[in-house]
Amino acid sequence: MIKLPKKKTVDKYLSVFKISFQQEFAYRLNFIMWRLRNVFQVFLAFFLWDTVFANPGMVIFGYDRAKILTYVFGLILIRSIVLSMRSVDIAPEIAKGDVSNLLLKPISYFKYWFTRDSASKLLNLTFAVFEAGILYILLRPPFFLQNNIFYILFFILSITLAIILYFLLVLLFSMPTFWFPQQSWGFMFLLMVFVDILAGGIFPIDILPSNIQNLAYLTPFPYLLFIPVEIYLGHFNFVATLRFLAASMVWIFILLFVNNKVWNLGLKSYRAEGR
Amino acid sequence: MNIIQNLQNLANKIYRYFKLWLLMSKNAFMVYILDRFSLLIFLFGKLVRFLMYFVFLYFLVRGTNTLAGYNVNQTIFFYLTFNIIDVLAQFLFREVYRFRSLIVTGSFDLVLTKPMNALFRSLMGGADLIDLITIPPLLIATYYVGSLLNPTSINAMLYILLLINGLLIATSFYIAVLALGIVTLEIDHTIMIYRDLISLGRLPIDIYKEPFRSVITFLIPVGVMISFPAKAMIGLISIQGILVSFGLAGISMFLSIRFWNFALKKYTSASS
Repeated sequence: MIKLPKKKTVDKYLSVFKISFQQEFAYRLNFIMWRLRNVFQVFLAFFLWDTVFANPGMVIFGYDRAKILTYVFGLILIRSIVLSMRSVDIAPEIAKGDVSNLLLKPISYFKYWFTRDSASKLLNLTFAVFEAGILYILLRPPFFLQNNIFYILFFILSITLAIILYFLLVLLFSMPTFWFPQQSWGFMFLLMVFVDILAGGIFPIDILPSNIQNLAYLTPFPYLLFIPVEIYLGHFNFVATLRFLAASMVWIFILLFVNNKVWNLGLKSYRAEGR
Repeated sequence: MNIIQNLQNLANKIYRYFKLWLLMSKNAFMVYILDRFSLLIFLFGKLVRFLMYFVFLYFLVRGTNTLAGYNVNQTIFFYLTFNIIDVLAQFLFREVYRFRSLIVTGSFDLVLTKPMNALFRSLMGGADLIDLITIPPLLIATYYVGSLLNPTSINAMLYILLLINGLLIATSFYIAVLALGIVTLEIDHTIMIYRDLISLGRLPIDIYKEPFRSVITFLIPVGVMISFPAKAMIGLISIQGILVSFGLAGISMFLSIRFWNFALKKYTSASS
């Protein structure tokens, strides 16, 4: 295999990034509708917590009004950077046999999709900042500003790990399509349900009874949204924060290993149906 | 004589369409049964989502005692009412989710040329078996939680009437989505926006602040669809509220059918 100089490899993925970014603008109405959906979801969460914490001095489940509303607003930004991605198209691509196109090209399949995801994240994050600004002006929530530099650094690290973790989870939930081409959407639907419920996408999971919480912590999902926001809010001490970051890394290694095995097995069963 | 004849014709027409609906639903169910694994995945996902939100609401309101003045049972009842309307609408109108491909491929021509109302075919052409499975337990749960609220028979009757009214408003939303689909070729996100909008009714409308509350009560009548029936069961609805509900259902149905007729004229039969 011919090895390209490092600069050429970077250029290759930079081109993928640029093209992918432009593609996002090709379906502008779709994109606007998608962003609008995110805003509606914020409304429900905001007003729910605004009502629960109507009394400003109230502390429930370890949250005060400022912290819970920071959780809601923080989710807009964290969702846009962690959950926005194009690689949800991997499963339908496998089902239609379109994976062959990329496998034949001198490009890493996973790096290609990670680059496309990055373009999607950049665009979604830009819009999310804008939306959060408008919602902030409209709703005027109290905001918890973290001033401990260590928590901010840990928060950034947890977001980085969450991005990698979600990418690996999407890959994992896409790969059963190798064996069940009809179910490409079914597995992604399951992933979305788990993310909404166990990742804290709808409500902070520490509201649930401790046995359900413990069960959730055994899965990789809380490390996607809940743990990063909680780290920002300073809900964990340093030791607990480090433990959660380590757990997140362990999940990344487990998923890297499992994905590698499943991908190789999947390619052996892949028949490029539909090509 | 003429009136009797007209009524008889109408009854025959309803019967014929009911038979058509049964036939189309049977065909749709056969597709689901052929793909049992998919059916199980979606059923499992939907149940998990429903139960976890239920658990969340239960523990939230138990921890805070009330939510906007409603106790645990009342809050859960709002949530169940939301689910009844949402699941019934999805069961009946699942075909809407498949409408885009008919429009972009021009296959909608085949619907238009058949001796069947095109709106009926586009709206109710394929009932959802997964939602059908979830309806009986949902109804039982709603009946049980409803009975804990000690409603009078009038409250219960009003609840059922307003529930049907809510379903009519949901129908007009779905018709509007279809019409918008013809005009803009966009269905997937529009239907999801509708789902997001009605999910605002998952909780009592009283949690929202003005002017947002009025917007989602009257302009986008999510409150009328979901919160009003639940409030009727609790005995918190006024005569004016009931009249406004029926009026809004009539207006939204009228406007959505007008929009559908307008959209039909914009259909270009592209790609056919």
